[in-house]
Amino acid sequence: MTVLRAASLRHLLRHPAQLTLALVGLALGVGTMVAVDIATASARRAFELSVAAVNGAATHEIVAGAGGIDERLYVRLRTALRGPAGPLAHFAPVAAGYVSAGGRIFELVGIDPFASVELNAGADRPAASGLQGLEQTRGWFTRPGAVVMNAAAARALGVGEGASFELEVGGVARRATLIARLAEAGAGLDTVILTDIAQAQEWLQSTGRLSRIDVRLPPAEAGAALAAELAALLPPALTLRSTRAGARETLAMTDAFTTNLKAMSLLALLVGTLLIYGAVSFAVLQRRTIIGVLRALGATRREVLAMVLGEAAVLGLAGAVCGLLLGVVIGRGLVGLVSRTINDLYFVVAVNEVSVPATALLEAFGAGLATALLAALLPALEVAASAPTLGLARSVLEGRALQIARRLALLGLALATGAGLTVALSRRSLLAGFVALFLLLIAVAAVTPALLRALAQGCARLTAGVSPVARLACADVGASLSRTGVAIAALGMALAAMIGVGVMVESFRESLREWLEQTMRADVYVTAPGPSEGLERRLEPQVLQAILSLPGIRAHSEGRRVTVTSPSGPVDLNAVRLAQPSYAGFRFTAGDPARAWGEFAHGAVLISEPLAWRLSLAPGSTLTLITADGARGFPVAGVYREYGNDRGEVLIDLAEYRRWWRDESIAGLGLFLAPAVTAEQVSGAVRAAVGGRQTLLVRSNAAIRALSMRIFERTFVITRVLYWLAAGVAAVGLLSALLAWELERARELALLRTLGLTPAATAALVLAQTLFMGLVAFLAAIPAGLLTALILTEVINRRAFGWRIELHVAPAQLTNALWLALAAALAAGIYPAWRSARAALASGLREE
Amino acid sequence: MLRIRQLSRSFREGSRVHHVLDRLDAEVRSGERLAIVGRSGSGKSTLLNLISGIDRADAGAVEIDGVEVTALGEPGRTLFRRAHVGFVYQFFNLIPTLDVAENVRLVLELNGVRGAAARERSLAALAGVGLAGRAHSAVDQLSGGEQQRVAIARALVHEPQLLLADEPTGNLDEESAREMLPALLSLTRARGATLVMVTHDEALAATADRVLELREGRLQERRPVPGQPP
Repeated sequence: MTVLRAASLRHLLRHPAQLTLALVGLALGVGTMVAVDIATASARRAFELSVAAVNGAATHEIVAGAGGIDERLYVRLRTALRGPAGPLAHFAPVAAGYVSAGGRIFELVGIDPFASVELNAGADRPAASGLQGLEQTRGWFTRPGAVVMNAAAARALGVGEGASFELEVGGVARRATLIARLAEAGAGLDTVILTDIAQAQEWLQSTGRLSRIDVRLPPAEAGAALAAELAALLPPALTLRSTRAGARETLAMTDAFTTNLKAMSLLALLVGTLLIYGAVSFAVLQRRTIIGVLRALGATRREVLAMVLGEAAVLGLAGAVCGLLLGVVIGRGLVGLVSRTINDLYFVVAVNEVSVPATALLEAFGAGLATALLAALLPALEVAASAPTLGLARSVLEGRALQIARRLALLGLALATGAGLTVALSRRSLLAGFVALFLLLIAVAAVTPALLRALAQGCARLTAGVSPVARLACADVGASLSRTGVAIAALGMALAAMIGVGVMVESFRESLREWLEQTMRADVYVTAPGPSEGLERRLEPQVLQAILSLPGIRAHSEGRRVTVTSPSGPVDLNAVRLAQPSYAGFRFTAGDPARAWGEFAHGAVLISEPLAWRLSLAPGSTLTLITADGARGFPVAGVYREYGNDRGEVLIDLAEYRRWWRDESIAGLGLFLAPAVTAEQVSGAVRAAVGGRQTLLVRSNAAIRALSMRIFERTFVITRVLYWLAAGVAAVGLLSALLAWELERARELALLRTLGLTPAATAALVLAQTLFMGLVAFLAAIPAGLLTALILTEVINRRAFGWRIELHVAPAQLTNALWLALAAALAAGIYPAWRSARAALASGLREE
Repeated sequence: MLRIRQLSRSFREGSRVHHVLDRLDAEVRSGERLAIVGRSGSGKSTLLNLISGIDRADAGAVEIDGVEVTALGEPGRTLFRRAHVGFVYQFFNLIPTLDVAENVRLVLELNGVRGAAARERSLAALAGVGLAGRAHSAVDQLSGGEQQRVAIARALVHEPQLLLADEPTGNLDEESAREMLPALLSLTRARGATLVMVTHDEALAATADRVLELREGRLQERRPVPGQPP
């Protein structure tokens, strides 16, 4: 190692606290990024494994909407597509739905094992059933309720081979027998129960109907030609799509969610960048004289630049490596939160294995290193370019810092304007929304040092007549921008993000609460259990009749939720027959309600805001859906507010739905009670009337609202975790910078003590200064945080999900940020305060 | 030979301009020991900075052994300085994170001398100032006089033609200054280097071949002060 490098490295090692805090800042930034990647990749991988395990070697799938596929089609296709040498394509019928067992949701997949074996023959993937031996095969066909499960899932349910257990299909209890466990099935089947197709049809009450037909086509051009031929053979209500496209469509539902998580992790890294900038700037400032000596001795600018960047690279390397390790640990914790949110909002997935994608690690490592180098570039260039005069006067340095702060303030205004323009000029781009958000946050960081200076000077003037010590304290803060400016800026930025996210979450919560209050008009809701759009979720006709004949019910709404296909992908359909009071529960954001309801009754549809945004639809547009008779355009009569489904939904009259999809089922009821009848009375009566025929969810209006709010809170747990991580990075940065600054002032403080300041007053002085800086960061963050909230609600949420959220601002939302600012400032001040109060004056005065 | 022609340097402070050096001329022969005296703020250190190429002149030229330093660009001035100029400062300016030998070796390494050769030469330079035994001490464990001797070893280890010393005794007590002086003078002479020192120390100035006074931006032959040694 050259002497120059040794000098540089030893400087870092001689300031372990400074070094450690900078490393912690960067490591947290990189770690958050890795953690989010691990959590989302694990959920994605689990889903892909599940798709791969269930689809086997299928290349395509024939899918239908709510009505399913007539199983005779399967027979026709098998015979139609045959060449002289045998079948041109392989088909396997599937009847699938959701069931619950032991409190967990599983996908029940009914297959024809022979067709499945044929479809997978010659492929490198085994047939999904995994039956081995004659005994198991016999059991598959002869034992009632025979099912096969992954060994891990069976273990989790506590079911042994040959044992019977209870499954609930749409609330109806069914007896299943585990005839085989798939020991080598891997994690892909963790949420899957396999059974014979006839058994599945019986349980799902879809005899003669299939959910899909898996297809294996030959590769390349022959496959493409065959796919076209096959598509032409299909009835209009059916669609042929590649299995990859199907999986992509499902995964795409989580895109906006994962993009938001990614943005939050980048925020943590951005804060980390400022901290590295602060640490390197500070290290350069501390060594200004030494670097001057080196330049005088003949070190070239390039050598000085290389030395400073080398230090940053060492910091970056160490921080990135620590960040990767930390990220893997945090990632394991986040997996649960992310998969729970995906289960709550999108699809059923069990993440039992943590995927650590190498690309994510490399990306994060590169980002950490690049961040450190980029952050160090400015101070490195500055010190390398400056004349090698020895020890620039402190006043010169601070003069420069002030000039930079003023320029940064102007830059901040330009960036904020840029953020506004980015929003104004881009109409739908989510990326542009995030760019605007980050521009705004960087603008806060840019403006904070100048604000700190202005406020400190103002305070110094105000206190001048009161106490020279107070004046000194304020003036000192204002005159130390080179030391503290960056850390306060980083804290300001993190606090702005914290306020912004806090206000956004609170606004969302309030909007959701208001929406629930407005929408949930019925007193009691009765639904079949299961995922909301599951076809198997239906009320048994006798059960329905028993409920509706109960006394005390003055009116009821009924509905059916299904997912149907459309040229733009799957669309959730909410078919309803509304009781009179329910109409008032819809708040229109486009279209005239009176006219819209009139058109609705005559075959038009209403769509929710997210769907209107996603498919760019408005009243007067036509929405094409694939019905049982093929594609049909439905006029859109209005757009209504809806927060229950971020993919959006179509509201259609139940009679119209039945007409076009030929599905007579009802999945849920909303009961309006007669005066003086309570929800508890009716709930009890419903349970009694249903008896053991079907397990139903009978919940009061208040219970559903409470449940919705609980799911909402769960959804935002991960957001909170991430913004606390970003805030933690900033707090560490502040601690680092203030600690270094205060320790650097040991001599000045010792001098004050010599002049008569008591130890307690000295400690108070130090604490007052650090608290003042924390407060300035908080003050800078308030307007920026509110603007951030505005961008998050009006731009990001709108563009990601199509929701319009009304801003709700209350002082309580700012308290988290205030406490963080004060706690970080106090923590940063305690040690230097204690040290300055106890320092031996003689040695303190000798220190340089 | 150090030749300075019409050298000017001014500094701006707000709307005021301070003309620190004003068309200054001087010539110093090779191997000559020159002392520059003057009041505080008269521009002595600025002159050293301009000679070494650390600072840039507003006008005029500095020529060292035929090389016009002021005509060189930044990298050229740095490369010239590290090869041909040595520096001794009032506050020693040793690198605190390096030990004594490393401080000396640093200049050799900057000049491309590495490994065993660099180590040997730096130890020899330390031996020359009587500090061979402290080669691996931390610099902050040395006395002021010792630190200045390390600085002298560092300034001369690469055998520069020109040694610039800015108040070399300014931060030393009398006894330490007495310890340090022989090293500075004898080693400079032994290497045939030209020595230009800025000082307030009359005893140090008295050891020079010539004393010039910097006054009103120009160098003038020192006028003997009655009652003081010439």
